[in-house]
Amino acid sequence: MTETWRLFRNTTRPLSTAEGLAVDDTLPQSVALNGSCPVLHLYSFVPSAIVGKYQDIEAALRLDRCEARGIEVNRRSTGGGTVIMGPRVVSLGLGIELDHPGLDGGGVGGLFNTMSRILADALAVFGIRACFQPRNDLEVAGRKIAGLSAASEVGKSLLFHTSLLVDFDVDLMLDIMNTPLVKLSDKGYSCFSQRMTTVESGAGRRVEVGAVVDAVAAAFERGFGIRFREDEPDAWERRTIQEFIDNRYTSRDWIFSHKHPRARMGVSRVKTPGGLLEIYLALAGASIENVVITGDFFSTTEDVNRLEKALKWTSAREDRIAENLSRIWKDDMIYGLDVPTLTRAVLEAKTNQERL
Amino acid sequence: MADIKGYNMPDDLYYHEEHSWARVDGNKVTVGMNDFFQKEAGDIVFVDLPEEEDDVSQGEVCGKIQSRKWIGKLVAPVSGEIVEVNEDLEDDTSLINTDPYGKGWILVIEAEELDDELGSLMQGDKLAAFIEKEIQRAEEEKAKA
Repeated sequence: MTETWRLFRNTTRPLSTAEGLAVDDTLPQSVALNGSCPVLHLYSFVPSAIVGKYQDIEAALRLDRCEARGIEVNRRSTGGGTVIMGPRVVSLGLGIELDHPGLDGGGVGGLFNTMSRILADALAVFGIRACFQPRNDLEVAGRKIAGLSAASEVGKSLLFHTSLLVDFDVDLMLDIMNTPLVKLSDKGYSCFSQRMTTVESGAGRRVEVGAVVDAVAAAFERGFGIRFREDEPDAWERRTIQEFIDNRYTSRDWIFSHKHPRARMGVSRVKTPGGLLEIYLALAGASIENVVITGDFFSTTEDVNRLEKALKWTSAREDRIAENLSRIWKDDMIYGLDVPTLTRAVLEAKTNQERL
Repeated sequence: MADIKGYNMPDDLYYHEEHSWARVDGNKVTVGMNDFFQKEAGDIVFVDLPEEEDDVSQGEVCGKIQSRKWIGKLVAPVSGEIVEVNEDLEDDTSLINTDPYGKGWILVIEAEELDDELGSLMQGDKLAAFIEKEIQRAEEEKAKA
């Protein structure tokens, strides 16, 4: 008999950050404590910027610009960096048990493998060939189309989060975010477009948000061999959602939480045999939160993106930087450069760091 | 010093199935995350530590550990009061990766029901069987990636 899962489909109106995130947080709770089967929540947000659970919101965002533009800000309960949301971004929350037999091999890696395969299947409907870039990204021709994040919750249940950009306002992102890209000023726009892509860009045509939601739901049904029953939160879930809204997502203590590593940013410019190398580094405590590698060297967008990804969300210690770069390095990835030179440039950016 | 298929799992420690370890010294129990966890998780980028004087129960989530974009749980291996947290982790979370049983310790619990609770933690053959099963699961996962 085909297993049935529940689908919360909220596409008639964009949700506030408090409502959308509260519904998502309720999903694993309901699976663990309310006897629910796995629940998928597909929706979109009002224009907003949402930081990861342990990000410094004041360092990640230009809050004055968010306020001036009417952009909501909030903090989600899963990891990772800042995401810009809006009516043309499909958000996905999933509550499921970590040992569900449909997840490849179980475990966190199995969850991310399975989710990326299903999302790639959904994107194929639009002629987009996406592939998983371990450990956390879904890519199209070397450009990120979705970032995957998750958190262990009650018992074996977990919350999985991602979003698919149908269309995106790069100028808005550059105006409200404090990313290393912002430091690139006039180069920021092209830097973004070389590193990320959207469903519309991949499809080469206008795509409706509802069509992406339908494709994702259908890919889940195929991938897990299940059927969805469109549903609404029950009374227990509605109470839990309201508690999350009241106690978490409208609480300044949560949104402006100071439980995070110190945020710093550093820049280095190093002359190398391969050309000028510029490193823009965002640090969270002793870890690299974000890095942009640019300059006048010869390389491909895909290779530069791979190098940046190898360093994101890893330790900023010299041995770890060298090890993470060496793991993916191949000859002439950046013409005329080697891992020790690149490591030295990253370390120089770390040395030049300034507190945000 | 026990080596279970390449994972360092010292014999003198007790292990919880959520991968926390416990080192017993009288009624003081030092807690950290084991070598299998740190290798599977990769670089630890943040540890959300509990407050000293908090009470915890065996099996209760008493902290969160972020590696890349995954936030995992620190589960208390025994019940009692948290009497110390490792503040060095605030500046260098990689200590959990580089020295999981030494400088990467996370907290100390003053245990209340140690005699009853140690029996439900793993050592020896039981631990070896558990870790081997976890290794098999992780290998299957990687094969499908």
